Amino acid sequence: MFFKIIDKESIVDLYAGLAAEYDEVTGPKTSPKDPRYVKFGKIRDASQLRLDYKTSIVPPKKYFLAADERLMRYDRTTGEVYDTEPPLQTRALIGVHPCDINAILMLDDIFLNEFEDPYYKVYRENTFIVGVSCMPSPTCTCNSFGADEVHRGFDLFLSDLGDRWFVSVRSVKAAAIVDRYLDAREVTADDTRAFQERTKRFKKALPKRMDLDQLPLLYDAKYDYPLWEDIGKDCLSCGACSVVCPCCYCFDVRDTLSADGRVGKRHRVWDSCLASEFAEVAHNHNFRPKAADRVRYRFYHKFVGNFTRNGKMLCVGCGRCTTACKAFIDPQRIVKALESEDTPASAGTRKGGGAQ
Amino acid sequence: MTDANALNQASCPRVVVLSLASDFGCQIQITNFPELLAMVGTIDLSYWQLATSADMPDSYDVAVIEGAVTLDEHVRLLQQVRKTAGVVIAIGACAVTGGVPGLVGTGDLDTARDLVYGEDATIVKQHRLVPAPVSSVIEVDYRVPGCPIDPAEFSALLQQALLGARERLDRTPLCAACQTIENPCFWLRGKACLGLVTRTGCGALCLSRDRACTGCRGIAADANLESARRYLREGGFDVKAFDKALEVYNTYEVNEVARS
Repeated sequence: MFFKIIDKESIVDLYAGLAAEYDEVTGPKTSPKDPRYVKFGKIRDASQLRLDYKTSIVPPKKYFLAADERLMRYDRTTGEVYDTEPPLQTRALIGVHPCDINAILMLDDIFLNEFEDPYYKVYRENTFIVGVSCMPSPTCTCNSFGADEVHRGFDLFLSDLGDRWFVSVRSVKAAAIVDRYLDAREVTADDTRAFQERTKRFKKALPKRMDLDQLPLLYDAKYDYPLWEDIGKDCLSCGACSVVCPCCYCFDVRDTLSADGRVGKRHRVWDSCLASEFAEVAHNHNFRPKAADRVRYRFYHKFVGNFTRNGKMLCVGCGRCTTACKAFIDPQRIVKALESEDTPASAGTRKGGGAQ
Repeated sequence: MTDANALNQASCPRVVVLSLASDFGCQIQITNFPELLAMVGTIDLSYWQLATSADMPDSYDVAVIEGAVTLDEHVRLLQQVRKTAGVVIAIGACAVTGGVPGLVGTGDLDTARDLVYGEDATIVKQHRLVPAPVSSVIEVDYRVPGCPIDPAEFSALLQQALLGARERLDRTPLCAACQTIENPCFWLRGKACLGLVTRTGCGALCLSRDRACTGCRGIAADANLESARRYLREGGFDVKAFDKALEVYNTYEVNEVARS
């Protein structure tokens, strides 16, 4: 990695360069429905970029794991099956926050490791990622999950120094972009000092870190505690949390037929473990029939399941679920509930009908 | 129950479309769907109340029913339909939840009649019932909710029915679909929206046009009304107005819950 300095206005040149080199440039832009909201979308002009955004409604995961991805088409009259090849379109993704880059690294571990996903792989390989620095919002807890810093998973990273960008150049592709399109200068001692100060300001603005050292053990120890019933009573089972979560990656595979029933497609769509269908199997058996079972499962997967697998919790503290959940269920509440004084439920209560 | 084998044997299943109490909007919606032509040849549309003047045949394979049950004669008709058809499909809010006709159920039937018809109240048929969904009278194999229905959803479901697939009615509220297409949340913007408890599956159509959900697809099976009301109270929203808005399409279910 090496570092350069560019003027604030040079973002126009960066955009132009990426637009010349990539089929599509996407980044944070104002929602047409309400200017207070930002979503990632196609950028047609550098002025559309909102690099000072706080958060986006949906994280950039949508560019790697599409909300609705066709896997194949078939013809029922002939029995022919046509696999859908992943699209080869290239994309530059500008303005990704450190938490979201860390989340993409989590998804890499899911989709490029033991079971390689051909779609994810192609999207990932064909995407040039430009990270951007941010300042914490009241809903941010990235530092508790070690996601406030990012050292890989991007090509270029822009740190905001007020009138100029401190540019971290990580990939060969990024070096070529800087070389070809940007009027970049060397980093001076002043720039480095300003960068350090910015980092200090950022760290100072972060909330107090939650102590998560005991969380996986505590979770197992309190797996049958009544706290889950309490939280379950609140869950709206809407699944909005899964949609906005940059680390949630579950999907459902569906078959959809044409109106005449002759041809069809198999596609995968985002799913949520908070939906009652999620754990339903043949003969209508449901492994998690109650909302309480499902909430407990969702966070168990994040804080224990994935942690025991690779030492990472499936949360980057981006705060999107804190905003999206109308039942006020978020990681902070789960951590607090697990830390609070509680007693195990009596065997009778858990089995149902045996309470005194 | 779905008689899938019988359907598979029939090369061209005979389908009838009939209405109970409704404004025929869902039948019109089917005619608005150009892909309907694609279905010609795969089904035999034996009877279509809106488009034919002939009598309903005595024998058919699939019955598509629109409208709410509001009269004794509806009950008798449905019982006959259930005996005849291998597959029964309820379409539209009226047939699935009782819909707008169900609003009468918020009060007394005679008071409502006098209020609507005044001096002409005598023309109103006798043997009226509290409006109810088709499923309250007979077993329904498939449901297409919504006011009006989405013709694409209807044709897709019809194909599933002909294949004998299990009904796959969405159970969760609308929020996940609405967030997926990144609509700024109405609640966060200080406006009430019934999507919080309404069955998903419409693709958040109204919300994408910046209109709040009115609950036409019915209360989601997974919905948590108590928690939704808690959220409203804590957020300073009008809980009574929320419940009132919910009645427009869901009076029957709200009353059912109150009774149980």
